[in-house]
Amino acid sequence: MNDLLRRLEATGRWTEDLLLSGILLALIGIATWQIVGRNLLGTSLVTGDELLRIMVLWLTLAGAVAASRADKHIAISLLDRYLAGWQLNGVRFLSHAFTAAVCGFIAWHAWAFVQTSREFEDTLLGGTPAWWLQLPLPAGFAVMTYRHALHALGFLFGRPPATPGRPKGPESPEAGDS
Amino acid sequence: MSWFMPVLVLLALLGAPLFAIIGASALWNFYQAGIDLQVVAIEFWGIAEMPILLAIPLFTFAGYLLSESGAPRRLVRLTTALLGWMPAGLAIVSLAACAFFTAFTGASGVTIVALGAILFPAMQQAGYPERFNLGLVTSAGSLGLLFAPSLPLILYGVIAEVSIEDLFLAGILPGFLMLLVLSGYSVWKNRAIRTPLGDFSWREVRGALREAAWELPLPIVVLGGIYSGTFAISEAAAVTALYVLIVDVLILREVRFRDLPRIMRESMVLVGGIMIILGVSRASTNFMIDAGVPQQLLEWVSGLVSDRTMFLVMLLLFLLALGAILDIFSAIVLVVPLILPVAQQFGVDPIHLGIIFLATMQLGYITPPVGLNLFIASYRFDRPIVDLYLSTVPFFTWLLVSVLIITFWPTLSLALL
Repeated sequence: MNDLLRRLEATGRWTEDLLLSGILLALIGIATWQIVGRNLLGTSLVTGDELLRIMVLWLTLAGAVAASRADKHIAISLLDRYLAGWQLNGVRFLSHAFTAAVCGFIAWHAWAFVQTSREFEDTLLGGTPAWWLQLPLPAGFAVMTYRHALHALGFLFGRPPATPGRPKGPESPEAGDS
Repeated sequence: MSWFMPVLVLLALLGAPLFAIIGASALWNFYQAGIDLQVVAIEFWGIAEMPILLAIPLFTFAGYLLSESGAPRRLVRLTTALLGWMPAGLAIVSLAACAFFTAFTGASGVTIVALGAILFPAMQQAGYPERFNLGLVTSAGSLGLLFAPSLPLILYGVIAEVSIEDLFLAGILPGFLMLLVLSGYSVWKNRAIRTPLGDFSWREVRGALREAAWELPLPIVVLGGIYSGTFAISEAAAVTALYVLIVDVLILREVRFRDLPRIMRESMVLVGGIMIILGVSRASTNFMIDAGVPQQLLEWVSGLVSDRTMFLVMLLLFLLALGAILDIFSAIVLVVPLILPVAQQFGVDPIHLGIIFLATMQLGYITPPVGLNLFIASYRFDRPIVDLYLSTVPFFTWLLVSVLIITFWPTLSLALL
């Protein structure tokens, strides 16, 4: 059972990383193509600019999911510096449980937003159903809910994640996170 | 119910992510007002309607990639060849290189990690006092954020809805002022170690230029492209990202293919972290604007101060306090929409306000208790955080002098527009 969970977790991480890298590379590719097309070939993808804007939103969500996984979201963190041991674990549990709840609420209402968009048959990119493109919004927040719930459980049972929560910064490589 | 906001503040101080705090406050306020909470998702979706945001992930990725390549070393060699002949040359080299690099890495702390590792040991070896070195490297880590195309400049332009091209121009002279003031202090402080790094040599300059040949076109592409009208800012960002990717991975081969997913993830953790705050803030800001918070703020401020000078003094005090507890990106997203209308009423130009805002928030990077650069440097150079507090005090003081000049002399920011 544990083995299966571990494999599912590994697959999940791999998928998250693949999506993030794929979106970023596609963003660079399409944006450059738009410039080359417009300036040199006199043509560009009609819906290219709109697609780029939507992909920036997807990338935001993929990056935010990665930040949740590594527990590297921007935070003020003033008082927790003075705590240690079970008190620190308790505070971390509380903050992750709270974050999971907020993400859950947003995911739920984002799902309602997608449903509404589906009912009204909104379209984007010249005819594509808008809700297909909006689906990453509830999905991203749902994954973040899961990540923060997992962190919360880790702190509750005294098994905190490998990387302690600190404000973002490239200085601490995400140990064991590849 | 009024108990909810204090709870949120406590959770924020205890380290809950800022986006969750802002999201919770937006959800709560809309719920109290009886508005369907889908509005939070709809406002978040608004991120997909802002074309300029494309520049943020692309410049950030390019900056991270550059920091993983040999570019920091080449930049130091080139600045040494150009400036190393001056007295206290190495200190000036360090400041100039950090400022240039920060412009590209978006003041995210990457500078200290990438350049500090080269500059700190070099300064120790050259006989500069350790406390000075620590202070310099820590303070210089955010020195270039007034230079294009830094991330905070772009974000301010997005939030304040002012021309980012104008902001890029407005940042040049104030940015140089900060650089000059810190260089002046470094030369004076180290007047005992007057030994330059070496004589000026055209041969070394040529060698350093040749070595940096792949990076040198970057500022020209970014700034030249934007101001000649060839590229929009987001297009310049796309060209930069693709160029750096091809040069560092395929031509120079300084970044390995298998490291790319990690670099992408690390850079997008920063981007995701900033932009998710932007997304949830759109909802909370709109709520506050509908509730008339900027007007109330204006009335309150008008009751306290009567003229522009007093307003600017109050603004500076507020921003210094803000910078001590909030990082620059969150501060821009949360505070600019509220203070911009007030500042305009007192006759402060929105572009000038942006430069004041960023220059003051730059001090926040080295202000205890939560200045990001202090923690990164403490981690990177393995020194207790208190050593870093003390080492940055003179640099903080001189940067504060620069901020005062920038604030009360608007022409410095607006002269190039």
